[in-house]
Amino acid sequence: MELKVMFFTSPTCGWCPFVEGILKKIIDEVSHLTLEIIDISKEVDKAEEYEIVAIPTIILPNNQRIIGGADEAFIREQLNFFVFMGQS
Amino acid sequence: MIISTGINELDKMIDGGLRTSYCYAIKGTAGAGKTVLSLFITHGALQKDIPVLFISTEVESDKIVEYGKSFGMDLQSFIKSGQLSVEKMTLKPQGVNLVQTERFDLSGIIARTKAKLQKINAKLVIFDSITAFFAEFQYEKTARSNFMDFIREITNEDTVLIFTAESQVAEEYATLEEFLVDGVIKIRTELKNNQLIKKISVPKLRSAQPTHFENRFIIDKKGVTIFRSEHPPISLIEEEKTGIGRLDELLGGGIPTGSVILIEVDGETNYFPLFLTSMYHHLSENKGVIIHSNVHMYSSKIVEEFKRSKSDITSHLNEGNVVFIDKYNRSVTAVEAREMSQLMTTDDMISVTVELMEAFAQAKQKVVLFGDLTDDANILSESDFLRYFALQSFNIKERRAIAYSFINFNAISREILARLRTTADIIIRFSRVEYNHYIECLKSSTGATFLPKIVKFNDTVPLIEIIG
Repeated sequence: MELKVMFFTSPTCGWCPFVEGILKKIIDEVSHLTLEIIDISKEVDKAEEYEIVAIPTIILPNNQRIIGGADEAFIREQLNFFVFMGQS
Repeated sequence: MIISTGINELDKMIDGGLRTSYCYAIKGTAGAGKTVLSLFITHGALQKDIPVLFISTEVESDKIVEYGKSFGMDLQSFIKSGQLSVEKMTLKPQGVNLVQTERFDLSGIIARTKAKLQKINAKLVIFDSITAFFAEFQYEKTARSNFMDFIREITNEDTVLIFTAESQVAEEYATLEEFLVDGVIKIRTELKNNQLIKKISVPKLRSAQPTHFENRFIIDKKGVTIFRSEHPPISLIEEEKTGIGRLDELLGGGIPTGSVILIEVDGETNYFPLFLTSMYHHLSENKGVIIHSNVHMYSSKIVEEFKRSKSDITSHLNEGNVVFIDKYNRSVTAVEAREMSQLMTTDDMISVTVELMEAFAQAKQKVVLFGDLTDDANILSESDFLRYFALQSFNIKERRAIAYSFINFNAISREILARLRTTADIIIRFSRVEYNHYIECLKSSTGATFLPKIVKFNDTVPLIEIIG
């Protein structure tokens, strides 16, 4: 089953490139995960649809959200906890 | 561009209306009426064809529309015509779980708000409320500091931004938001005589003088009605002027006839400019002036002072429009004076005054009484003095005259002053701090009190002017 991780970013966000790099790296490792990167300055409709307030926001497949920039360990931990554990 | 709030009195309190590119905060305790007030402002703007974006952080947009309906607003029709957009914006939408860190900005909500306001070309953005909005953030401080970007970006669009914020009941200090915004409208509820009373004030206003006093207001289906203490509705009462233009204005147009005005002065302040200007004005209106003479206020001094200010009252003196009642006749010997003071009791003073008032009334002249109470307060026993003042005040009120009673508040006890204040209709305090003289109104039967204002003196009538 294909699972999608959404990543909301904006040009003003200082932590976004860093988080984006981590996400790409993690998701490359997992076959059934895809990453959708949404720049809210270009796609306001998407921000509206998902009711985005703070940037960066990562939406995990089970509707869990991570608000704010975090390091690799933190993001891995969240993915493990909310996505992979549920799968197994 | 200035946008009316739709509430006439509120417009006056904020210097004409809401200014575009300004940010205002409506602060108030829970249940004071922040949302309703912002809804009435929304409705007011919509009726003047100004598009509005209403952001709700607490309740769903349809609830806001319903809430408006309960106050007789048809918000749905404005939404249909594209003039109004009601949006719910919150960090945690329903059914969503959050993990938060402190490294974020608010560009999401900024982009969404900008898109919405550009879509309907909104000139007014309401954000209700930041308290509920921030409550969802684990790192509230970061959210608050990033909210500055929100304010900046939205007001840059040439719009008015109003946000509501909940204040604590005993909030003494200005909170962060108060520093950031251009205007603060504060509302609160207080319990008085088992009744909830709502009060509104504007403690901060860029570009204009803030109004520090609070006005009562009510909210009902007809809207928000503010009872402005500066301009009370006293059109039904016959008004008299004091002769000092600005003072009349500040007192809401003048003083009602039958008023006893207590003018409290400290011993070092010369109240003559105030006294003479007022006396001159009343004489020019052909009123009868009665003066209770004493060591401060006596005929030759008054005539001299008028001469000095190049104002002629000779004709009034000749016509008998000015009458001095001399309690302490200075031409008598000590023994005679003792006998006289026994003769001229306070009751005699009152009866002579009343007789004069009747004589003036027959000549169809209104009467104004001037007197300095300080000596009476010191010479008479406490009960005699209070009885004297009460009798005098009663006759003034009964005969629709006006009394100006001067008193040195430093020379009498606090208890006596408190009792005089109870009897008086209007209390004006005239005092000096270093080299500036100040006038303020502590009590007024019309409800129009005001804070100390600087006083300027002139050489000719009017001898006194109020600045500000």
